[in-house]
Amino acid sequence: MAKENNQAISQKPAGAMKHILSFVFMIAFTAAAFFVVISDKVPSGWVVPLLLIFAVIQVILQLFTFMHLDQKGSAFYTIFIVFGIFVAVISAVGILLM
Amino acid sequence: MANKVESSTEMPNHLETATFEGKNKVLGFWLFLGAETVLFACLFGTYLALRNQSLGGPTTHELFDLKLVALATALLLTSSLTSVLAMIKMNQRSMKGMVTWLVITLLLGLGFLVLEIYEFQHYVHEGHTFMSSAFGSSFYALVGTHGAHVTFGIIWITTIMSQAIRRGINTDTAPKLFVSSLYWHFIDVVWVFIFTLVYLLGKVG
Amino acid sequence: MGTLIVILVLVLFLAAIFTGGYNKQFQERVRKSRTWDWLTTVDHKKIGILYLMAGLVFFIIGGIEATFMRLQLFVPGNDLFVGRTFNELLTMHGTTMIFLAAMPMIFALMNAVVPLQIGARDVAFPFVNALGFWLFFSGGLLLNLSWIFGGAPDAGWTSYTGLALNQYSPGPGVDFYVLGLQIAGIGTLIGGLNFLVTVINLRAPGMTFLRLPLFTWTAFVTSGLILFAFPALTVALLMLMFDRLFGANFFDYTMGGSTVIWEHLFWIFGHPEVYIVILPAFGVMSDVISTFSKKRLFGYNSMVFATVLIGFLGFMVWVHHMFTVGLGPISNSVFAVATMAIAVPTGIKVFNWLFTMWGGEIQFKTPMLWAVGFIPTFVMGGMTGVMLALPPADFQYQDSYFVVAHFHYVLVGGTVFGLFAGIYYWWPKMFGKLLNETLGKWHFWTFLIGFHLTFFPQHFLGLFGMPRRVFTYQTNVGLEKLNELSSIGVAGMVIGTILFLINIIYTLRKGKKAKADAWELGRTLEWSIPSPPPEYNFAQTPLVRGFDALWVEKEAGNKSMTPAEPLGSIHMPSPSYIPILMSLGFFVAGFGFIVRGIPAAAIGLIIVVVSLFLRSFDYDKGYHVEPEDPEKGGKE
Repeated sequence: MAKENNQAISQKPAGAMKHILSFVFMIAFTAAAFFVVISDKVPSGWVVPLLLIFAVIQVILQLFTFMHLDQKGSAFYTIFIVFGIFVAVISAVGILLM
Repeated sequence: MANKVESSTEMPNHLETATFEGKNKVLGFWLFLGAETVLFACLFGTYLALRNQSLGGPTTHELFDLKLVALATALLLTSSLTSVLAMIKMNQRSMKGMVTWLVITLLLGLGFLVLEIYEFQHYVHEGHTFMSSAFGSSFYALVGTHGAHVTFGIIWITTIMSQAIRRGINTDTAPKLFVSSLYWHFIDVVWVFIFTLVYLLGKVG
Repeated sequence: MGTLIVILVLVLFLAAIFTGGYNKQFQERVRKSRTWDWLTTVDHKKIGILYLMAGLVFFIIGGIEATFMRLQLFVPGNDLFVGRTFNELLTMHGTTMIFLAAMPMIFALMNAVVPLQIGARDVAFPFVNALGFWLFFSGGLLLNLSWIFGGAPDAGWTSYTGLALNQYSPGPGVDFYVLGLQIAGIGTLIGGLNFLVTVINLRAPGMTFLRLPLFTWTAFVTSGLILFAFPALTVALLMLMFDRLFGANFFDYTMGGSTVIWEHLFWIFGHPEVYIVILPAFGVMSDVISTFSKKRLFGYNSMVFATVLIGFLGFMVWVHHMFTVGLGPISNSVFAVATMAIAVPTGIKVFNWLFTMWGGEIQFKTPMLWAVGFIPTFVMGGMTGVMLALPPADFQYQDSYFVVAHFHYVLVGGTVFGLFAGIYYWWPKMFGKLLNETLGKWHFWTFLIGFHLTFFPQHFLGLFGMPRRVFTYQTNVGLEKLNELSSIGVAGMVIGTILFLINIIYTLRKGKKAKADAWELGRTLEWSIPSPPPEYNFAQTPLVRGFDALWVEKEAGNKSMTPAEPLGSIHMPSPSYIPILMSLGFFVAGFGFIVRGIPAAAIGLIIVVVSLFLRSFDYDKGYHVEPEDPEKGGKE
């Protein structure tokens, strides 16, 4: 019991650090997205693509660190969520371009 | 129950998928999230198609207050982090640590919800209601559905947390805690798109 | 009138409880009764039977509606069912047949067969499975109650907005459509999810993905389509509900809304739905044809590939239902090409079936007859499908009887024939008795001839300009003879269906007991266990050593499957009353919304929430059973 606890504690920093790092990145990208919109310095043609890129990066971070898709045995989760995103994008774009 | 797991010879690194039921539950929940992705995509598509139909009411430009949105975003993003920290504590069998992080998550979620209700109230005051225009309908449908998910998530996590407190962290409660945390992250993912495509884009286009 | 009935039933119910009809002893009696057993079952085999029976009932209701329509169209200028009544009939016929007949019968076969084919003792989520059935059933019931509670929906099964909004469809009809389908749709969604997890996680040792029988493969892909297509319907119905009940403006043009959004959402769901109902039929065909040709399925890998490809492409073709909306030439062309591309994997399948039969030792048992009848019929439906996929041609065919003929060739010639084949094929496994072959053959021939007589002339009716969904036509424009033929053909299908019902009743009374390997040609795992299977399916989980697992063992000279585990006690999930309680909650809530009775809706939703909590705090871990040793003369 004690040994196991030790083992668990020794694993802790690496796991938590990864998540905190990923969180910092997410906050940074969010801030960048807000900045792009509030400041008028970015050329208008770039704004929407940039916003989308920032959002996509955040989602990838969420999925692969917070939601643990980077772990072993996640193949089926990944397949289905990716296909879900694929259908979602097609549907949303389809409705939008009507 | 809790003792049974801890006394077993092999201590699984991931308690949530240690049993067969746990594996099924986690996979099933991922599939459910796939379905939810399509559900939200349809709401997003509808909103983006209808967002300029404000019919003389306030437009996205006039309406949205980015400071409020930034605060809400910060709350929800942080709650996503605390939720994952709670899961790390769970896999270390630390009930106290887990509950602490979960309570923080719930409080942040509640804060987000309060902000959203305040925001909606403000909009209704400005004449932007569910019935005022197609923009209003699609806006409240999208953001409201997300808010309903947050509400459900808060109730759900509270329920499961109370079960875990009473019955310990074991192969029965761990998958439940884990999928509720997945759900919480998913809500966060949706919010990332809401602040990008609804609020920020509303200030741009 | 309708509300009175509900109140009356409630009062009688309460009276029974308060006058002492409800006490401990009574409770005990109820718990041990067979009805209670069926209402609370979580056994996938029983749920399969429930799905089948419910599906058959709705199939008959939908059939009666169709018969009424053909009666009206028998002669020009008929006044039997006109105007709104005819609109109600056509709406309810389409909705019932797709959502309440085809879907549950597919789920019936999936429930009865998929766990057995993969060597599993149960499905992944028995509780969710039961909940899926009861939600479907209460949704279907709600929808059909519209006939007595103020008029059925009459905006077509596609319920295009504009027409389906309050202004043009006053009365509760479309509300019944919206809430009934919403509830049934949730049930279907969670049912599909359950089967995905079952196939991924519960396969027996050695049962790799490329050893799965084709019916399981198609069930798997269909479940995937359900998972990703139904949310679009959920959203569409939710918006329509908001528009009709709460004054939202999604589809109201005068308030900035757009009817095209409904069309998009409906067909984003609706086109995959077509593949949802046809793919399992393909799977049944593959299993039946291979079994009765006594040959390994030709081109198994290409069959699997084609199935997955159809599922994948199914999400990228929905706009072909909207060619005439005016989305522009680029959009129309892209979707036309994608649509025609689907003909390729479908063609692969057809040729594989033909090559499976080629040189086989074919036995024309009833399931095989349906399979052989299916191929040319379905190919004709597919051909007209490719014709309709050409946008310029589609502008001509659009909204005519040509379209009606096309989708009935696909949905009846494909799905219904496939379902009948499957029902005849697996009936002994489900019920332990073989359906009568003579009656079965009569059923096939009357139905086949009746079907072609009904729908073949409709191609020409369409080309001659008869619009669909219109309740009459004039004399002397050349439509009388073909309409007459078409209506006469219905008699064949009616007689066939009646023969089928007679066959069921006859079989239940006197049918021949089925052996484990009922057709003596079984190739897949379900034929290695008794008919009907014990509640735990497999006393010992089998070890799978190749595609067509049982056939591999037969060829190796073994009488049964090699077990992968020693005999031991088996864990079973406990029955639960929560699924039916939760469905009741949804039903009450739905009804409350329809009659604009917010208290009733609130009560319903409270029931739902309470059952969710009951479920969450339900720590029942099930029970264990000791299997009979098959070696020691277990029941065969």
